[in-house]
Amino acid sequence: MRKITLFLLSSLLFSMTVFAGGYQVRLQGNKQNGMGLVGTSLNMGSSSIFYNPGALSLMKDRFHFELGASGIMSNVDFQRAGSNENYQTDNPMSTPFYVYGAGKINDMITVGIGVYTPYGSTSKWDDNWTGKLLIQDIALKAIFVQPTVSFNFNEKFGIGAGFILAMGDVEINKAINYSNDAKANLKGSSTSYGFNIGAFYKVTDKLAFGVDYRSEIKMKVEGGDATFIVPASLQTTIPPTNKFNAELPLPANLDFSVSFQATEKLLLAFELDWVMWGTYKSLDFTFDKQGVLLDSKNPREYKDTYIPRIGAQYSLNDKFQLRAGMYYDQSPTNEKYFTPETVSLNTFAYTLGLSYNPIEKLSIDVSFLQLFGQTAEKEYTPDNFKGTYQTIVYIPGIGISYKF
Amino acid sequence: MKIRYLFYLALLAFVVSCKPEVNEFTPSKGGADFTTYVAVGNSLTAGYADGALYKSGQSYSWANILGQQFATVGGGAFVQPVVTSEFGVLPGKRKLGLSTDCLGVQSLGPVLDNGELDPYTNHVDYAVNNLGVPGAKALHLLAPGYGNPANLAAGLANPYFVRFASTTDPNITVVGQAMSMSPTFFSLWIGNNDVLGYATSGGAGDVITDTLAFSEYYFGLIQTLTTGGAKGVVANIPGVTSTAFFTTIPSDVIDIPDTPEGQGYLAILNGEQGYAPYNAFMESHGLPYRITFAIGPNQMVIKDPAMSFYDLPEQLQIRQMVDGELALLTLPQDSIKCATWGSGVPVPDQYILTKAEIDYITSSTTAFNDIIYQAALAKGLAFVDVNAIMSEVATTGVTFDGITFTNTFVTGNLFSLDGIHLTPQGNAVVANYFIDAINGQYGAQIPKVSVANYPPIPFP
Repeated sequence: MRKITLFLLSSLLFSMTVFAGGYQVRLQGNKQNGMGLVGTSLNMGSSSIFYNPGALSLMKDRFHFELGASGIMSNVDFQRAGSNENYQTDNPMSTPFYVYGAGKINDMITVGIGVYTPYGSTSKWDDNWTGKLLIQDIALKAIFVQPTVSFNFNEKFGIGAGFILAMGDVEINKAINYSNDAKANLKGSSTSYGFNIGAFYKVTDKLAFGVDYRSEIKMKVEGGDATFIVPASLQTTIPPTNKFNAELPLPANLDFSVSFQATEKLLLAFELDWVMWGTYKSLDFTFDKQGVLLDSKNPREYKDTYIPRIGAQYSLNDKFQLRAGMYYDQSPTNEKYFTPETVSLNTFAYTLGLSYNPIEKLSIDVSFLQLFGQTAEKEYTPDNFKGTYQTIVYIPGIGISYKF
Repeated sequence: MKIRYLFYLALLAFVVSCKPEVNEFTPSKGGADFTTYVAVGNSLTAGYADGALYKSGQSYSWANILGQQFATVGGGAFVQPVVTSEFGVLPGKRKLGLSTDCLGVQSLGPVLDNGELDPYTNHVDYAVNNLGVPGAKALHLLAPGYGNPANLAAGLANPYFVRFASTTDPNITVVGQAMSMSPTFFSLWIGNNDVLGYATSGGAGDVITDTLAFSEYYFGLIQTLTTGGAKGVVANIPGVTSTAFFTTIPSDVIDIPDTPEGQGYLAILNGEQGYAPYNAFMESHGLPYRITFAIGPNQMVIKDPAMSFYDLPEQLQIRQMVDGELALLTLPQDSIKCATWGSGVPVPDQYILTKAEIDYITSSTTAFNDIIYQAALAKGLAFVDVNAIMSEVATTGVTFDGITFTNTFVTGNLFSLDGIHLTPQGNAVVANYFIDAINGQYGAQIPKVSVANYPPIPFP
């Protein structure tokens, strides 16, 4: 087993350099983070609100709270096709976080609430970089609030469902070709709804299955603020302030997972996540004023992706657990429509994690992920924008959980 | 055990690749030597734009861009005969600005941009690599004394060459001066003015160079430029009639509104005070010409001296334009709007290209391009098919880095405010096509430039 794992890991690492995932961020629990982001067949307490509401009612303790965050440090390097000009992003660290709390009403019913950030993207290119007419910078954030109820039929089988209130913010800056400093700023927010349902089945003490579905949520920006900085003579055709509508889909996920207690100390888990990116066809903006001139349709034509994950947890003793995992995330992007706003390459990631329990009730969880985006030449054909991208992402995270 | 390995691996990965770095392109000169590059040509090579050769426009010449890119593969300094004024050497520079027409309507368009010039008498005393001479035809590059100020009065010299022509030999030719640099690589883009002079005068001034003569000049130029073993790149001539200079003003620009005034004007135009006698005359002489107006857009009435073929008196050598004929950007708009040009008064010949004139321009362009291609082939030179590129620009447009280039005036991004010469971004596009051709022919890897790094036409 050990040899096979090592072989797999090294061959993945060297045969395909790595990263993907559109603008999805699955850093919703520092224990799961350490295990290749496997979570649907695990029962790590209140973080099941995100990973599998079905598992929530099978948590061992009466109350469970978790709180944590990660720091995504990402770097993208871009080299123009047919040239030795390179451009790097200067991305600020983005910090997805999560807060969960759950409590048992009785032996069968558990309720909880989670606040977490499963989608986000921050890309900051230089204002004068070669792709400035496509994007200068973009910041996309979504916060989900999910009250959840979970029910178990017996000690082995639980189901659960959560209602999701999704609040999103997006801000985009891009240059426009009317003068050296002409630009457009689009800023909007949205409130939308969705749900998260899951089922958890503990076949034996050693073997568990989980399945979870999180619905698609369409982030609809209505009446967002558009600001155009253009020369005075153009302000009748391009109004300096405008309102815009746009819609960005946050795709549905269907996750299948199995976990296996191999030895008393070693827990292994596998997962396959089906991310339904196929819903992201186009990013369209429509404007209130001068719509005919300004409206834009920007094809994306994403395709669904399937992410295989593997994770392991090794209990060193009562106080320490070590974790490791890896996954391979395909890029959902279309060959013809790869844009520098979301540099999403085929990605390999490995993860590490450590938990320390100073007292039985408290766990301090740290994790570290490194993501390697496969070096690849990509093109956005409508703008004839072509070049080679590479990404490396580091994500340290820390969290605590408390139970009683 | 396993955990320990993972930690080692993590540490290794962290150390090896802290920052992503793409390195897919290594510049190389291939089978060419770019040590000394000279650019020989006309206004396009010189960096002429917006109706003038001025400081910043010149700095964006495609030849200069090419020279800078050659520096990455062993090219030496590329020296231009720098114009120190933002307003040019001769007056005529245009900028975008507001102007008020004869009807009192304000609109945005090219207006004169006057300022202190850098006159051609300010002689450039250093050796230059960019020998583009605005206005030069193929013959001029071979003409002794074309840079001799003594010949200016007789029209045998060109002030743009006078300003940088070597003073040690007053009768030096442009190509001779290029050879004095001992070039290892050259570009030759010439021939545009051999048709353009005729075209921009509406076929009324200048003549198109004779094809046999053009062939002699062109092969002569190539022969001279390659004598020292230099490699090079040549470009052919675009269909000049698809440049914005000829496509901006539609031939059916006479718009008669459906108002009492419009109806009244229509009645005059079509009546006995108007073109009814003309139509009757043409009919009685069995000629197909008719002039009729209707509510809405109408073809302009123009003078067509070619109608002298029918032994018509001069005042009857007029007709309405037909689809496919072109009006020049120089056609005074106010005369159309307020002095009944195109309806009551026929538009003078020098503002119009008729079908026959367009055919002549097109067939000559094709013949010249054939010669250019044969010369390139014979000497194994890199070849840029500007004619094909221009056709694509005029039909579908071409896009780079999110900028779409068409032949539309101003908003098409390609043509500067004179409608013929290139914008900085247009120069970058052309430079990249030259680089493609050179890379292809000589197996070189010269990096292309980012079009978006060059400035757009400035709006006020």
